[in-house]
Amino acid sequence: MISLQRVTKVYRNGTTALDDVSMEVEKGEFVFIVGASGSGKSTMIRLLLKEDEATKGDIYVAGKNVAKLTAWKVPHLRRNIGTVFQDFKLLQDKTVFENVAFALEVIGKTKNVIDQRVPEILDLVGLGDKLNNYPDELSGGEQQRVSLARACVNRPLVLLADEPTGNLDPSTSVDIMRLLDKVNRIGTTIVMATHDQAIVDAMRRRVIELEKGKVVRDQARGVYS
Amino acid sequence: MAKLDYFFRETTSGLRRNGLVAFAAISTTFIALLLFGLALLISRQVNIMIDRTTGNVEVAIYLSDPVNDQNVASLRETLMALPIVATVDYENKQEAYERFQDLFANSRELVDNVDPEALPASLRVKLSEPERFQEVAAVLGCEPGRGGYVCAAPGVETLVDQREFLDRLFAVTRVFRVGVLLVAIVMLVSAAVLIANTVRMGLFARRKEIGIMKLVGATNWRIRIPFLIEGLFESLIGAVAAILVLFALKVAFINPLNDSVQFVPWIVNRDVLAIVPWLLFAGVLVAIVAGLVGMRRFLDV
Ligand SMILES: Nc1ncnc2c1ncn2[C@@H]1O[C@H](COP(=O)(O)OP(=O)(O)O)[C@@H](O)[C@H]1O
Ligand SMILES: [Mg+2]
Repeated sequence: MISLQRVTKVYRNGTTALDDVSMEVEKGEFVFIVGASGSGKSTMIRLLLKEDEATKGDIYVAGKNVAKLTAWKVPHLRRNIGTVFQDFKLLQDKTVFENVAFALEVIGKTKNVIDQRVPEILDLVGLGDKLNNYPDELSGGEQQRVSLARACVNRPLVLLADEPTGNLDPSTSVDIMRLLDKVNRIGTTIVMATHDQAIVDAMRRRVIELEKGKVVRDQARGVYS
Repeated sequence: MAKLDYFFRETTSGLRRNGLVAFAAISTTFIALLLFGLALLISRQVNIMIDRTTGNVEVAIYLSDPVNDQNVASLRETLMALPIVATVDYENKQEAYERFQDLFANSRELVDNVDPEALPASLRVKLSEPERFQEVAAVLGCEPGRGGYVCAAPGVETLVDQREFLDRLFAVTRVFRVGVLLVAIVMLVSAAVLIANTVRMGLFARRKEIGIMKLVGATNWRIRIPFLIEGLFESLIGAVAAILVLFALKVAFINPLNDSVQFVPWIVNRDVLAIVPWLLFAGVLVAIVAGLVGMRRFLDV
């Protein structure tokens, strides 16, 4: 489902964020990318989304060679990938419903489909009663659940999460992890970058550890360190 | 609280900044299209004047007093012998006076003060090829002089080529028209630059939202179109204002002329209406070109 082959990323200012990284993620896996701040976790997520280009090496996501993707096909890659970030990335001038609906609108789903699927997925994340609220009327945990609903409403093959619990308190984080686990169990491949030790240790999933841009550990059913 | 305050400040300052540029874009488009419309209307005015007059353009041969019938007959013969002469008509003093009355129907004092006997009789010559007027002048032995041409042929006082006078008038209006058109083009380009800037600033102010839209897989076009519409909107407001002002100018300046200077054909409301599509088209074109230029490279993935 995801494959990195000898990927190196050197930023324009000379920083080497990823250094000859290779890894394979199978369909339906749940993988934690762990490592200290600055070890290259976010860079890896950005490369998978083609928000940035690898300096060297090949990247495959959902069968597509990301490096060879032309600019106008990038939106189609992203429609197969759900994303969740530390800062939620919600549109402040849209309601909860509209934020989630937006992900379906951009892929041309009809109003019928939207009106059916959006409340369904918002129910699933426990926000069935907040459809018409605006993001700034929600707690951090609720905003992250909206973001997760938006990421999943389109039933993506892959879900990429970059520190999704970074702005949340421990009990809210556990709620989010339960949801992610649920999403993974219906077959979605999940790659989650985090430095939240408690969560990694509790979940007991595959752990890939980065250190200064290199993979230093790849362990099935691992712990943080 | 600090966060709310920050959002409020970011939004309002962004709006003010963009609002000012939007206003500049609207007013520049307005001025550009106003000038463009003026150039079109002037050109229309010149055209209807040419249309009306070319049919009637004549060479007038004013006869010296008293009129000698024999001279008139021989002049007529000489003229008809020329292949370029279409018709020769004799206009006596009474007819000249009537024409004069027609022409200055609105200036009664002028007409009242002119003695019918003071107006000369003339031969009105129509040419099949007006530009070959010199052949007429040659056959009558005329030289350029005071009040037209002074001629050697007996019984001829002066000779006037009306076309020459009209040509001079049209040359002046043509230069004027080209000048207005050039200014209009410069203004249209400035309007395009300003619209491109509002689009660019709009994109900059909403770069966070745009990032999110791209993240969920929105194509560049889906993101671009609202900004194109914003530019289109600005430009169309300018265009509509220009059209209204053109109508107002027509009513304010041409309508009074219509009453006082009747011997010249003036543009009518329909002529103004006819340029409306051109102004709208120019406005839309400017906005689209400006929008595309403004967002170039901004949305590259
Ligand atoms: N846009 C950028 N330009 C230059 N250097 C960057 C950029 N983004 C990240 N880096 C650097 O690359 C390294 C990896 O960063 P990042 O991938 O954000 O790490 P992590 O997410 O693990 O904290 C860091 O040294 C960081 O300073
Ligand atoms: Mg990071």
